[in-house]
Amino acid sequence: MKKNILGIMALFAVVFLFTALKNDSFLNAYNLQNLIKWSCLYGLIGLGVSFVIITGGIDLSIGSVIGLVASLLALLLSKGRDPSTCIALVLALSAGIGLMHGLLITKVKLQPFVVTLCGLLFYRGIARYITDNQSMGFSGHDTLDSIFSGKVAVSSQFALPAPFFYLVVVAVVAALFLNRTVWGRYLFALGNNETAARYSGIDTDSLKILAYVACSLLTGLAGVLFAFELNSVQPASTGEFYELYTIAAAVLGGCSLRGGEGSVLGVIIAAAVIRLLYNSINMLGISTHLEYAIIGAVILAGVTVDELVKRYAAARRTRQQAE
Amino acid sequence: MKSFLVSASLAASLLLLSSCNPSGDDPKTGGAKKPKIAYVTNGVDPFWDLCAGGVRHAEKALGIECEVHMPNKGLVDQQRILETLLAKGISGIAVSPIDADNQTAFLNDAAKQTKLITQDADAPKSARLCYIGTDNYKAGRALGKLVKEALPGGGEVMIFVGRLEQLNARQRRQGVIDELLDRPSQSATDVKFDPVAGAIKGERFTVLDTRTDDFDKARAKSNAEDAMTKHENLACMVGLFAYNPPACLDAVKEAGKTGKIKICGFDEQDAALAGIKEGTVHGTISQQPWKYGYESVRVLKQILDGDKQAVPENRFLEIPFLVVTKANIDEFWAEKRRMEALGKQP
Repeated sequence: MKKNILGIMALFAVVFLFTALKNDSFLNAYNLQNLIKWSCLYGLIGLGVSFVIITGGIDLSIGSVIGLVASLLALLLSKGRDPSTCIALVLALSAGIGLMHGLLITKVKLQPFVVTLCGLLFYRGIARYITDNQSMGFSGHDTLDSIFSGKVAVSSQFALPAPFFYLVVVAVVAALFLNRTVWGRYLFALGNNETAARYSGIDTDSLKILAYVACSLLTGLAGVLFAFELNSVQPASTGEFYELYTIAAAVLGGCSLRGGEGSVLGVIIAAAVIRLLYNSINMLGISTHLEYAIIGAVILAGVTVDELVKRYAAARRTRQQAE
Repeated sequence: MKSFLVSASLAASLLLLSSCNPSGDDPKTGGAKKPKIAYVTNGVDPFWDLCAGGVRHAEKALGIECEVHMPNKGLVDQQRILETLLAKGISGIAVSPIDADNQTAFLNDAAKQTKLITQDADAPKSARLCYIGTDNYKAGRALGKLVKEALPGGGEVMIFVGRLEQLNARQRRQGVIDELLDRPSQSATDVKFDPVAGAIKGERFTVLDTRTDDFDKARAKSNAEDAMTKHENLACMVGLFAYNPPACLDAVKEAGKTGKIKICGFDEQDAALAGIKEGTVHGTISQQPWKYGYESVRVLKQILDGDKQAVPENRFLEIPFLVVTKANIDEFWAEKRRMEALGKQP
């Protein structure tokens, strides 16, 4: 688990240094603030889906939940409802969505893939229906805007974007939960071998439900943050395909799709690597058509090198032990 | 089990029989029925709601019954809708084909059974009676003129767009570039495109780069942010798809560069119109989507009335685009709101 973090950190460092050497503006405060902002936004949903992936499940509905939360929030605010009630309502709705996923998966025993795939379609459709598929904005909500997409100045040059603080709080809580509580250890145990965990007396159903609630709740929070960051919501497209970025970040960051493995720091860095690659491609002025090819190639190269180094280290250890 | 299957298939065939022809009209004769026109889009989008507004406007103004269909599951869905319309004996169809080349055979078949025209996107090889659309290259050049207006002394320009795979995006981009570099006008049917990578330098203007975002608004904004970081002397952002100008505006405002970096764009999202009103967006080129709807109905009705002049000789009816700036923003926005409200009617 620790080795996986080293690999992704090295990949981050290589791309970061390479871009910094090639482009002078890359390290200026404005660009770093932007990089932190986007990394934190995607990191937040990456963390959410990690919980589900640790249990051996998957959540494909993330993009649609973001779309639904953002659309509903814009709709409620445009009707002049009380802002704090609106925020509470959409967060409760996302937790409720997670609860429903969890119940369908544990009690009705449906496959997570099917449940959340249907969710992907259902929530997107609802978002489009309730808004008449019209684009909506958030003008006139300056307080909410500063809470969710404001900046906190740390020096005259540098200001930390709001999503950073949300991510730090969530990451600390998640790390404590996973590594310092018995429930966290149970979650890993459940992901490694569900039957064994159940026979050891672990309430695997409740834990799984908890993982889906955490995932959807964090997705809902990210939906609110994205909505205010972008200041506009397109019900048909806001958040579309974000599940792919986040699942990629979770797996790159050390989660195994087979369950039982995962690291909070790893996922955050992996989410940052993907944003960094987009930023670097723009900074280096590489053709926009090459974007996907470069991101795919760099990540694949990173993962391959990581695997080879691990194997080499393991082989050396066996040799040393033999001697 | 067997008896269940038998009764189920019986019930299904009864259902089919009863739904086949509820009014009892023979679809072939059709003549005795009141003519009806269908407007079929290529998907679900606010753009199409504005077009639908034009259809509803024409429906009242010209006195002909219309229905609007928006397929939301792509090609198969569009084909299903068209087949149903033909089966019902619809008098005329205006369609935006999703995959013109591969739909040609089907469209030819449809053209035999009804009056068929294409709008927004053409199927040039099919037997459609005419095509109603915008000349996107010309519209791009008009956008280039807006940029020249915003930057009389010239400067560095960056282009932002969702995807360049679409012909209209490439034509718009080339129009902007040709205008900024003072090149002669190209023919819309045979446009030569500049490569996407690398800067294109002219005497007064330099087009630094074109960045795509695959319709992801977060990337549209981060592309605009990155452009400001990379190019200190960036003087104008050009957004080619509806959400690009608002995304640029958002990024420019947050960076505190309002007024320093000009913004010009395409289409008529409210955020862009608000920007024009407050002076943070220089202007936008609108295709006036409602005219697609209105003109489609008007032309089809004329064809149905037997008017020989309805279709131009080259079978192309050009919808003029409109340059929207501070000078005409109020009346344009009012018109958009009116059409939006009309388009939402069922």
